[in-house]
This record gives sequence, C-alpha cells and structure tokens, in this order.
Amino acid sequence: MPVDLKRINGPENTVSYKLYTPSKTFKEELKCLFKSNNKRQDGRNSLEHRKMFIKTGIVSQAKGSAYLELGNTKVIVSVFDPREIPNKTDYSQKGVLYCEFKYATFSCPQRRNFQQDSEEKQNSIILKQSLEPAVCLHEFPNFQVDIYALILENDGSSLSAAVTCACVALAHASVPMYDLVTAVTMGVVDNQILMDPTLKEQQLCEVFDETDTKSDHGIIVTSFMSTHQQISQFYQTGNINLENISKSISISTDASGDIKLLIEKCIVNHVLKGANKSNEE
Amino acid sequence: MALCEAEKTFILHSVEENFRIDGRQRGDYRPMELETNIVAPSFGSARLRLANTDVLVSVKLEIDSPTLEQPKLGKIEFFVDCSANATPDFEGRGGDNLATEISNCLSSAYKSSTAFDAGKLCILKGSKCWKLYVDILLLECGGNLYDAVSLAVKAALWDTRIPLVKSVVVDGNKVDMEVSDELFDCERLDVTGAPIMVTVCKIGDQCIVDPTTAEEHCSGGSVVVAVSKSNFSTILQTGGGSLHPMTLLESLKLGQTVAQRLDSTLINTLKQINDNSTDVGFLK
Amino acid sequence: MSKKKELVSKIGLRLDGRRADELRRVRCKMGVFSQPDGSAYIEQGLTKVLAAVYGPHQVRGNRSKAQHDSAIVNCQFSMAVFSTSERKKRPRGDRKSSEMSIHLRQALLAAIKVELYPWSQIDIYVEVLHADGGVYPACVNAATLALIDAGIPLKEYVCACSASLANNDIPMVDISHQEEMLGGPTLTIAALPMSEKIVLMEMSQRFHIDHLPKVMAKALKGCKDIKVILDEAVRSHVEDVGCSTGWSNTSQKIKV
Repeated sequence: MPVDLKRINGPENTVSYKLYTPSKTFKEELKCLFKSNNKRQDGRNSLEHRKMFIKTGIVSQAKGSAYLELGNTKVIVSVFDPREIPNKTDYSQKGVLYCEFKYATFSCPQRRNFQQDSEEKQNSIILKQSLEPAVCLHEFPNFQVDIYALILENDGSSLSAAVTCACVALAHASVPMYDLVTAVTMGVVDNQILMDPTLKEQQLCEVFDETDTKSDHGIIVTSFMSTHQQISQFYQTGNINLENISKSISISTDASGDIKLLIEKCIVNHVLKGANKSNEE
Repeated sequence: MALCEAEKTFILHSVEENFRIDGRQRGDYRPMELETNIVAPSFGSARLRLANTDVLVSVKLEIDSPTLEQPKLGKIEFFVDCSANATPDFEGRGGDNLATEISNCLSSAYKSSTAFDAGKLCILKGSKCWKLYVDILLLECGGNLYDAVSLAVKAALWDTRIPLVKSVVVDGNKVDMEVSDELFDCERLDVTGAPIMVTVCKIGDQCIVDPTTAEEHCSGGSVVVAVSKSNFSTILQTGGGSLHPMTLLESLKLGQTVAQRLDSTLINTLKQINDNSTDVGFLK
Repeated sequence: MSKKKELVSKIGLRLDGRRADELRRVRCKMGVFSQPDGSAYIEQGLTKVLAAVYGPHQVRGNRSKAQHDSAIVNCQFSMAVFSTSERKKRPRGDRKSSEMSIHLRQALLAAIKVELYPWSQIDIYVEVLHADGGVYPACVNAATLALIDAGIPLKEYVCACSASLANNDIPMVDISHQEEMLGGPTLTIAALPMSEKIVLMEMSQRFHIDHLPKVMAKALKGCKDIKVILDEAVRSHVEDVGCSTGWSNTSQKIKV
C-alpha cells in the first residue's frame, strides 16, 4: 500500500484498536435502525426522503454551479464552458460530457486520498451515463463540457445527490437539455426498503451478515427523467430479488417526480432573479 | 465500426422478425468454447471464446491482511487489461475506460457475500487472508464483452485451487503460517453463487441478448444484469440511451431467465471437463 | 554462489534434458483471430506469445507523422500481468516494455518492405501470455508469422534466437528462464536467416571476446532452425486456407 510520507503514520506492524473494541452484531445494528415508533433514527418513515436544499451560482469562476444539501450530505457541482475535446484528432459529430466525481478528503469518516479511487471512478462513470441521455449533445459537436462533482460531506446517498445537483448546475450553465434528471437512492436491508439512506443505513445495506443468507440487501440508484418517463441510469449492487427491484423502481420514479418540482422551482427562481436584475438596470 | 442507415434498418427489421442477421432468435446465444487450466503460472485460469469475443482469465493468490472494516473477509480484486490485439484503439492507455467499467461492474457483482463468500478466504481474523487477483485479458472484441467476461471469470474461479494452510502460529504480534507443500493438497473454491452477467440490448421495441458489435451499434440502450442464483447482484445501464421503467423491468426479467439458463449450462460443462485432457490453447 | 550449478552436465545434457544445440519445442498457428488483418500464436517451450497485425491503413492520430516514401511501423509490446510467476503490476508502460517495443520495431523494420506503402501505417501488437525465457525471440517470431498472415510483403523471414555460454566453454541455444536465472551471459540475435544478416544483437553479462564468434554462430544456427519451422507452418497454413476456399475449383473456372 502506498504510504503518505508527509503524514505521521503509526509504527509498522501495528493494527487498529478498532479490531479489539466490542462491536455490535448485525442483528443489534438492525434493531437500531428503527426507533420504537417505527420511525428511523432521524424521525423519517421508511419511504420518506430527507429535506433538500438547492442553490445555484455557488462557484463564480464556473459557467454554472449548484450546491445541494440532503440532510448532512453536501455536494457542490461546477460545470465549465464547452472546450475542444483534448487529444483528439478526428471530428466527432456529438459533444462529450466529462464527469469527475470526488469525495473531499475530509468528507468521510476515513480520510480519502487526493487521487480518485476505484469507487469514485465508478461513480464518475455512472454520473456521466445518468446525464448523457438528457443533454442535447448534437448542439455542441466536437466540444466537451466538464462537470466536477465534489462531495463536501458524505452522509449517504451521495451519488444520487451529485446527479441531481449536476443537473441543476447544467441548467444553470445553460447547457441545452431535453429534460431534468433527478436521482434517488434506495437501500434494501432485511427485506425492507429504505428511501434515501444515511451513511449508517447505507453501510448496513452494503455489508451483510453471512449467517442469514435468505433476506435481500443492497443499494439501488435510479436516475429518472420524469417528463419523458425514461430511466437514464439504473445502478444496483448487493443481492435483491426481482420483486423488491420492481417495487423500488416505482417508488423511486415517483420520488424523482417530486424532486423535479423542487428543482424546477429553484431554476425558475434563478431566472426570475436574473430578469429582475436586468429590469432594474 | 461504422454502419450506414440501410444496414441499421436491416438489423432493426431482423430483430423485429425474430430472425437476426446471423439466424438466431432474440434469446439465443452464439456458440461458445471454453477451456480451463490454460495459463501455467496461475492457480486457476480459463479461456472463453464467444464467437469473435475472446477472453483469457487467470487467478493468482497472494497472502494479504484484511481491511479494518471487514477483518473477517478475504479479498478479491479484478483487473481488466484490454489488449491492443483486440483493436488498435486500445493501444497505450486507450482501453482504460472500458477496463475500469468492466472491473468495477465485476467487483460490485462479487461484493455481496451471497454471491461470493469472501469469508472462506480469511485465514486468521484481522491479520491474514488470501487475496485473489482475477486478471482478465481481452484478446478480441466481437460484442457482448460483459457476458463473456463473467462466464470466463466464473470458470477460472471454478478451476482455482487454494493451497491448504497447515498451521498458523501466533506469537505476540508475529503471525507465522505454514502452507502445505503437497502439490495436490488444496481445495476448490465454492462458486455456485458466482454471478453471471447478461447484457440485454434494446433494439427497436424488442430486447435481445448476446448482441454482436453491429447490433450493439443499433441499440437504443442496454442493461447489464448480474444474476447470482436467482437474485440480482448488480444492474447497470451501459452504452448511453435511456429506458422506460416498464422496458427496464421486462429486460430484467429476460436477463434473469437467460442468466439462470446460462449458469446451469456453464456448471454442467465445467463438470464435464476432466483434468487429464491435453492442452489445446490457441493451437486449435 | 559458491557452488555454481553446471548448465550442461558431463554427458552433455542441459537442465531440462535438451542438448546444447537443441531448441525447445516450437508450436505455432497463424490466423488465430479474425478481426486483425493478421494474427499468430507461438509457443517456444513454455513461453507463449500472441501477435496481431493491423494495416497497412491510414495513419491514425497525428497525421503529420505520415511519411511520403514509406510506411510507419508501430509496435507495442505488452505482457499479461499473470505471465510471470510473480504477478506484474502493469501490463505495459514500464521501461522494459518500451525497450522491448523499440527493439521489436527495429528487427521488423529490417524485413518489412515499407517503401511499398507510403502515407500509411502498420500496427504490430504483441502480447506475452507466459514468459519462460526467450521472450524477445518468441515475440519476433510471432510478429513475423502475423505479418505473413496479414499479407504484408517481407524481404524474408526475420527470426530471433538466444544463445549462451555454458561452463565457460560450450555454447548453447534457446535459453530458458531457469538457465537465465542460474546466470551465464545471454546473447540475443534477430537475423534475416536466408541472407545471414543480423538486424539486432543484444547481450547481457560478459564472456571473453574469443567466445563471441562461436556463440554468435550458434544463435544464428538457431535462427535458421526456427526459420525452417516457421516456413513449414506458413506453407501448411496456406495449404489449409487454400483447400478450404477451394483453390483448385477457382483455377478450373479461370481455365473455362
């Protein structure tokens, strides 16, 4: 493993103390998921989305940018002006999106590296594929639009937050689009579907207790264009049966429609503000 | 590959008629050839040829220490190398994007303990475990890479033999272990749950499996479905385009049935392979 | 090493039971893949190499590289991460691979009639599946077969072979990995065996200059032996392909 020499590392041949601290068993963790009144730890129902805050025009240097808060998950996405595709000699009929998904080094409980790791690379690809069907790529042939998503704090569902935020940022950058893309994360654990899981819940859905192999677990991220009723990207991992997947699809498409209304309002606000300003002048 | 409008229409119509350009029906696969134990310096290997798609997989073992978050689990790592033999576009770092996409999809599909039990790879909790390096070499691309890769990986893991650990001695912080010297003192991995990936491709209004390169070009969107036993372990949309929720559900159903059919065929084939057959490799 | 193991025993056998002037078993096949214009597979002992040739085609990438009087020959050497007993980190891009690519290009450039294809490019990709000594010679031989399969005009076969000096006295041919590891100098030659021209010669470690002619002669002999094997493979391949396309029938048609 590469060691960062600029940091003070523990001596060699040492192991983390966490190995020896008593940890809760999976069953106990599962019990902690819900409070006695069948609500989740933050007081939500199992199919309730967290409150969302969106703001456009955060990064002044970028052509378009947006900031999104989803509970404690915080994302900034900036979109830059189209530029010629670098290192390419032949003409391409369609424009290209370049996406970079990055966790800030301080965003997770464990420190992240400056370089993209494989999870971040995978998320970059998913982000790109979620947005691509919505953007009118033929409008800027031979050009590339750069999209940078930075997760400032990760408290679960960061990928879907990045997709939604990137869509707002693209709209703010006035990139022509067919539709707005909104994404929702669903967690499945112990045959229960949780919408918009927090980091704790997400970890429970991903890591699974070996002793009980029957029940389902996993994460589903759905990116949806609600005007056209099209799923632009569907990513699932874990171990889930068809029934739960079809249930999650219908739930998340509905939720996406709700989020879209929110986004629309935010964009309309931005336009109105701009119009008022020019009126004053 | 560049296709003109007429060619695309021809393919579109052929899918509509359920009689594809190579004579297959929508749910049919092209012929496959499988050979195991083909790379000598590895613990298990397989080569799969699906019509023009050629994949070589090798499994190597190393001793490593488990991660802090999961001290009871061994490790498995996928590395995909797109050889320039397949197409000149892969020269240098040209194939890297495709390679990360496939390897990420594989690691996501193998992450669940129901799909692949990494707990069996652990030797001593928190300090010693086996690390499986699954190296995939793409030698020729003739469409439908994901399916071919997943089948070859499963066959290679089936072929893999893990040496038995005779004894583990813990002395303070030091851990000494002794691996059996006997060549045949080893155990096979349990891969019955290992996921099979099926690419379901939407052309026109229909969904097909095992698309050729030409068909992939005509597709309006495709889904890669990784199925372990009867559950989904990974679903990923690939190749641009979007799908209606109903179409997605239909293609998931199609993918599931096809994957189960493929899985049982693969296991049956693997059981038929006997160890003392001579190596053929690329000389056939 | 205090007790140096003898590379050739008293009765004249090497560690793997070969005689000093014996090659390892060579098995090869042309046309393994359908997408490249030419492809070949060769096994020399346990060393296994795949080669693919694309072209001649339009110059890809930077058009300004194109030459008005000859084709560009582009080689890439790559080693599968599982090809060695210790797993490699990267299949290509390290120093050794780029050196190999350059050497490969040098050897093949000597044989290809590049002047026939101005403004074009020929790509040669070599993939090592199993490295067990003599990787470079195997690559050259595989690339030659792939070039012939692609129908690219060559001046003649270009073959490569390695040779070494055992017990400071006996020259031996086609060095395996085990013999490389045990020490002893290794001389690698790529040659045009019919005209006996050497196009590339590389040597590691040292021996007295007096030994050079006989080791070189041995390596050259090895190249000639390989040429015979390759020639046979090419002929049988052409025969196979010709028979299956029914060349006797076409010639009859022409007569009518």
